[in-house]
Amino acid sequence: MSEDTHYNQPKRRDVEFINPPNTLKQKVGSGGLSDEILEKAQDLLENNTVDFQPLGEMYLNALMSGVELAKGSDGEQDAEYVIASMLYPTMQLKANGGMFHYPLITQISDKLIQFLEVINEPDLEAIEIVIAFHATIRAVIHGKITGTGGAHGKELLKALNDACVRYFERK
Amino acid sequence: MAYKFEKVSVLLVEDNQPMLELAKSLLLTFGIETVHTARNGEEGFQVYCKENPDIVVADWMMKPTDGISLARKIRNDSMSPNQFVPIILMTGFSERRRVVEARDAGITEFLVKPFNARDLYRRISQIIEHPRKFVRAEGFFGPDRRRKRMSDYDGQLKRETDVRDDDFLVDMIEKDRRGASNNSETN
Repeated sequence: MSEDTHYNQPKRRDVEFINPPNTLKQKVGSGGLSDEILEKAQDLLENNTVDFQPLGEMYLNALMSGVELAKGSDGEQDAEYVIASMLYPTMQLKANGGMFHYPLITQISDKLIQFLEVINEPDLEAIEIVIAFHATIRAVIHGKITGTGGAHGKELLKALNDACVRYFERK
Repeated sequence: MAYKFEKVSVLLVEDNQPMLELAKSLLLTFGIETVHTARNGEEGFQVYCKENPDIVVADWMMKPTDGISLARKIRNDSMSPNQFVPIILMTGFSERRRVVEARDAGITEFLVKPFNARDLYRRISQIIEHPRKFVRAEGFFGPDRRRKRMSDYDGQLKRETDVRDDDFLVDMIEKDRRGASNNSETN
């Protein structure tokens, strides 16, 4: 290709950049929020009295429905769909546990999300692992283990993590 | 001098009632006086068209219409009163492919749950102080998906699959990770 044709080629991308007016800035002005307001908001968050148990049970039931779907699928259902049916309620447990005083549930669910995000298919061994996570989360909710659970919480997390590691070692 | 949030209106879309109430309380504590609410993306779009709020804060996973679909509608539907409105997406997901999916739907900021009051405030402050250009290209309309890295954090991420490059929202995700890890240590 000659230098001439190089510079005379038609435009290949048609991209328009737009700078919308910053009406939000015009409305709020400057200065941000004071630490006092942010601390008040944080206190509100930390002292919320929402009972996580009904919410947690709802997501656990959804997770178990996903497990049942996986058990009965025999490869007939799309693997992504089956995994998603377990992944989405797990994401909700992760998201909401920590918002409502159960950070251990967030940590446990985060491990399960990591597991479900990378498995190829929901085989029997994978399902067994999901069931173990489910049982652990249920025990945390029923035992009202708020906070991270201290040393016991760390042990639970390690045991679940080890189960995931063993699964991938066998694959 | 402080932000005059009383003039700002927010649409909050969340199907989990306790979470909806908690997030609404935070916004009211910030001084935002008008918080419209909806329980899913479909209802959210109706309220959005009627109220034309200044900011949209939406959960990702909702039925029948999720937060990603809501974002696409706000950006592309001819009924949308303001295609440029900042959209903050709340979700428990933080994996790269999820962030990319949200980015490609036209969301402005990504807020990983669980979050604290400062996390939410940082997202709002970000869209006020550092609004991004919009891009109209074949197959995409939304905030510019590139953003320069601003974080001073140079340590390890929690996971290999978490986002880390000079791309969209990276500094925010990193701060979330750091915040979550700090919270775990203090709890």
